[in-house]
Amino acid sequence: MTTEAVRLKEEEYSGQFNLSVWKKVFSFSRPYKRYLWKLVAITVILAAVDAVAPLIIRGIINDAGQNGLDAQLWPWAMAYAVLALISCVCFLAVIRLAGRVSTSVAHDIRRDSFKRLQELSFSYYDHRPVGWLVTRLTSDCDRISRFTTGGAVDSIWGGCTLIGVSVAMLVLNWKLALAVLAVIPPMVWLSMIFQKRLLAASRKVRKTNSTITAAYSESIMGVRTTKTLVREEENLHEFSDTTDEMFGASVRNAILASMYFPMVLSVCSVGGALALWLGGVNVMSGAMDIGTLIAFFSYAGLFMFPIHELSRLFAEAQTVQAAAERVTGLLETEPEIKDSPDVLAAIETRAAADTQTGTAIDGMGERIETIEFCNVSFAYNEGKEVLKDFNLAVKPGETIALVGPTGGGKTTIVSLMCRFYEPTAGEILIDGVEYRRRSLHWLQSNLGIVLQTPHLFSGTIRENIRYGNLTADDEKIEWAAKIVNAHQFIKEIEDGYDTQIGEGGVRLSTGQKQLVSFARAILADPQIFVMDEATSSVDTETEQLIQQGLEKVLAGRISFVIAHRLSTIRSADRILLIEDGRCVEEGTHSELIRLAGKYYELYTNQFTEQQRAEILAGKT
Amino acid sequence: MSGKCKILWGLMAGQRLRYGVAIAAMVVSVAATFVPPLIGRAAIDYVIAGEELYAPQFVKNFVEWIGGQSMLARNLWIAGSAMVGLIALSGLFGYLKGRWASIASESIARNLRNRLYDHLQHLPCSYHDKAETGDLVQRCSSDVETIRLFLAMQVVEIGRGGVTLAVAIPIMLAMNARMALLAMVLLGPILIFSFAFFIKVRNVFKRMDEAEGAMTATLTENLAGIRVVRAFARQGFECEKFGEKNARYRNRWLELMRVMAWFWSCSDVMCMAQYGIVLVAGGYYIAAGTMTVGTFFAFFMFVNMYLWPIRRIGKIMADLGKATVSIGRVGEILDAKREDHTDQVKITRGPAERASGEIVFENISFTHGDGTHVLDNISLRVEPGRSLAILGPSGSGKSTLINLLLRLYDYRDGSIHLDGRELREMDRKFVRSQIGVVLQEPFLYSRSLRENIKLGRSAAHDEEIFEAASAAHVHDAIAGFEGGYDTVVGERGVTLSGGQQQRVALARAILKNPPILILDDALSSVDTRTENLILQALRQRHGTRTTLIIAHRLSTLMAADRTIVLDRGRIVQFGTHEELLKEPGLYRRLWEIQSFLEDDLGRNIGKKRGGNQQ
Repeated sequence: MTTEAVRLKEEEYSGQFNLSVWKKVFSFSRPYKRYLWKLVAITVILAAVDAVAPLIIRGIINDAGQNGLDAQLWPWAMAYAVLALISCVCFLAVIRLAGRVSTSVAHDIRRDSFKRLQELSFSYYDHRPVGWLVTRLTSDCDRISRFTTGGAVDSIWGGCTLIGVSVAMLVLNWKLALAVLAVIPPMVWLSMIFQKRLLAASRKVRKTNSTITAAYSESIMGVRTTKTLVREEENLHEFSDTTDEMFGASVRNAILASMYFPMVLSVCSVGGALALWLGGVNVMSGAMDIGTLIAFFSYAGLFMFPIHELSRLFAEAQTVQAAAERVTGLLETEPEIKDSPDVLAAIETRAAADTQTGTAIDGMGERIETIEFCNVSFAYNEGKEVLKDFNLAVKPGETIALVGPTGGGKTTIVSLMCRFYEPTAGEILIDGVEYRRRSLHWLQSNLGIVLQTPHLFSGTIRENIRYGNLTADDEKIEWAAKIVNAHQFIKEIEDGYDTQIGEGGVRLSTGQKQLVSFARAILADPQIFVMDEATSSVDTETEQLIQQGLEKVLAGRISFVIAHRLSTIRSADRILLIEDGRCVEEGTHSELIRLAGKYYELYTNQFTEQQRAEILAGKT
Repeated sequence: MSGKCKILWGLMAGQRLRYGVAIAAMVVSVAATFVPPLIGRAAIDYVIAGEELYAPQFVKNFVEWIGGQSMLARNLWIAGSAMVGLIALSGLFGYLKGRWASIASESIARNLRNRLYDHLQHLPCSYHDKAETGDLVQRCSSDVETIRLFLAMQVVEIGRGGVTLAVAIPIMLAMNARMALLAMVLLGPILIFSFAFFIKVRNVFKRMDEAEGAMTATLTENLAGIRVVRAFARQGFECEKFGEKNARYRNRWLELMRVMAWFWSCSDVMCMAQYGIVLVAGGYYIAAGTMTVGTFFAFFMFVNMYLWPIRRIGKIMADLGKATVSIGRVGEILDAKREDHTDQVKITRGPAERASGEIVFENISFTHGDGTHVLDNISLRVEPGRSLAILGPSGSGKSTLINLLLRLYDYRDGSIHLDGRELREMDRKFVRSQIGVVLQEPFLYSRSLRENIKLGRSAAHDEEIFEAASAAHVHDAIAGFEGGYDTVVGERGVTLSGGQQQRVALARAILKNPPILILDDALSSVDTRTENLILQALRQRHGTRTTLIIAHRLSTLMAADRTIVLDRGRIVQFGTHEELLKEPGLYRRLWEIQSFLEDDLGRNIGKKRGGNQQ
């Protein structure tokens, strides 16, 4: 496995404490500093209230016990009411403030990560599945923000409560206090041990759970194969091994949890017992009053929750750090392909000068007349070269068809052309200028690309076509749709151009999606038109529709066409047969047929396949 | 509702006793937690303050027996130890409850998972045709999880709350009735408030889930279509679009936090008020001399014990609705009829021996559940060891013919015989075990290639696997992978090309070595030359195997003894290669492609070329 793949594994543990990651994470809460300070202040008040409350119990008991009916209970009641009110108001404020900060921080991390993802080169995407990236921006972000804010609140509250309670006890009776406080270290120790194990156990449960989910989806998708192989019993047997594992892991997790609380509670009750015993002895000797005894007893019960919370946080810190490392890793990755400083400077100069028509944003020519590949080689991630010393000079308005076996390098040529990747050696010249000296945005906004599997966005058909040119009016959109013969089918569906096509365009057929994506590319009025197997996933009928419109579109534009449909190939100005990263045959259709080489073979095969498909589709 | 209870009760079979024991342990555990405050009360009032001991007679006797007030006063640690001991005892039973309840609930979940898995595998194909994979998986994972949580957590928590009150109320009433009533005055309102609250804010939760879903969908769509985004240089536009969804999600979160903040502080106010009532009333009764300090202490502790759980119970009760919905959704799957359910004749295993492979279709007609007519009065016969090719345009019923033979769908009209026996009178699994099938889009399991091939025959040795792979012309390709035969296929591993997948599936079928082999357009992604080599290898290996081939390439069709041509569910032509060439029809039209090609080439280069026939 490559190192890359290892890094991509969802490793939840990372080695040691990583200060720079935490710094980076906390830097996201900087804009919310004023909230944070308020939050800290209120949390301290909250902890103080908790520490003071038992004193009121003490007061009431002592007052009532010593003064009988002469006792003035109202001041105590008032004090209690005031404390309770402060506590509730503070609580309200803490939740709202913490909520505001944590959701805002999550929002900001997501915003920045998304922006970075828009800039990163395709090489970044090559080894990272979409699902992996989505998880970074969803659960990782949530986890980080919840921990940094919720964790801050909990630890401040927990720490302050522990301190407040200790101080109050020490002031009341330091000897007794020390005895009661002695239970804290064993409680902390126990909690730490258990929290760590609980976390590991629940991680195991989660992992097994995703195996189970995957098994279900496999069994449903492969149900026919399972039936024909008569594998039902073996499959169930294997599946039940997984559910057994799940059972074991879940029970272990539950048992750990049901051991943890009783044990910590028992240790905690030792504190109360000590207060009762030693305090009781003091009360009998007259050295302490009964109210103080009861106050001590309630203090001893207050340790439990803060210690539980603090140790949970501590155990979680490692997981959160791993999430934070992944997210900051994403944020700190620099795009490999971006405008050079020179280009950026040129863009600025151009922006400062009066806008002149006819020049691109980088101050150079707007029109693209010729494209030249000079000794271009390319390899993905220092792997095998997929393109070797490739040369090609494209004349104005020329249509180049790239044909050849899968993996031969056709798509690579097009990707280099679009500057989705840059050559590892050699140059690509646009009108004689090396394209790394031009603006990336300028080049890419002059491209019109149609891919094999059309990707549409949820929304209406109109919105999807408008994606090609955000300022286009409805008329222009219909014009584009008419060119590719998409207008017809769009008019026929219920809401026409305003039809919601669903996520990824699920409500349209593949052919319809491809027509829409053609219209989108045409609306962009690109100088370079690229089709990557654009007609291979559509039926013959749709292909003919596209073919009719295409001739109008390609006229006067440079275009690259990767195709195996013969009509598309035949009409190209030049055909390049690419194999093993090299161009092995080049020429017009009839030249290559006459050559009787690889193209000839490819063509005859394809011809037969296509004819057969048409005959079997019921057409002649 | 009662139906759902019945499902649930059924699921609990085998674990009911354990559940019962867990509940008993919980009762002991809860009861034990009520004793320490009473010990505290006795210690304060009787031992420390020297007042009369309020306790049942046997406790009084016991105390007198061990030495009475003076002895306890000298050894106050006894009271403390008793408290710790009881807490530990309660903890022990709490642990036992947790242990048994989790074993019970996890067993139920495990059984449910296994049952669902088994059931899904045995549901007929017609069910799977209609169902959505995502929805089924959702039901099997998150709905089962909801049910599990209900059993493991919600039932237990509600039970615990109930037991706590059931123990607390009589004890408190016995100590001081007036004080007891005061100590419970806000209990009902708190419970009702939290229940009503969570019912009321369900929408807020739902809205937040929706906002999160919308954000994730936008994100996924953007990342999946990143090429399109770049191709149109729409980064700015996309950032804006995502920004909007991101902000909406944040705002929904804020809304939820705001609501939750109000909930917690309002219920806090109520709880604090309940405390306050106990505190002030207790102070008054102590001052008036009608209540001892110890009793006050005990009350104070009790309130603490039931007040906090009550708030949670409101939320749990509000969540119970989810469990009923989930039980219903899971129940729907389990209620669907399994395919063996429809077998009219419950014949056990078929003949144990290997079938000879004679297949006879007699007047078979088939209509899908939705009314589409697929096959119309099909009769044909394939002798053992012979091969039959099936040709026809898409939708002509070729695959349905195969599916009926495999008993993936049930036919009603006509009959199919294997070795002279009616298929419907045999066990489906026996029929399928006699047939090896390779589909056009074969399904490989996400495990290693070796295991995938081995699915054909799990006892096979490596040499046999290699041999099968060689016959399917995929051995070299597999050996070329970094991991060889241990290479994992699918999401977690390498992606095979369509042709490689087809050949691996073929290797699987070859290894199975069945008397009947069916290739359902199974070599369509394999190039013509390799296909011919594979067909040749197949012929040489087993002359005695009955073979059905659905194919479009003439070279493949020619390899079969006979070919039938299907059109709209009917057999329109039947014969050998030579016979079919003589009649006008689909078969001859395929043959004629060759001359079209020559014409086409001629048009292009101005002269006719002879090409080798495919």
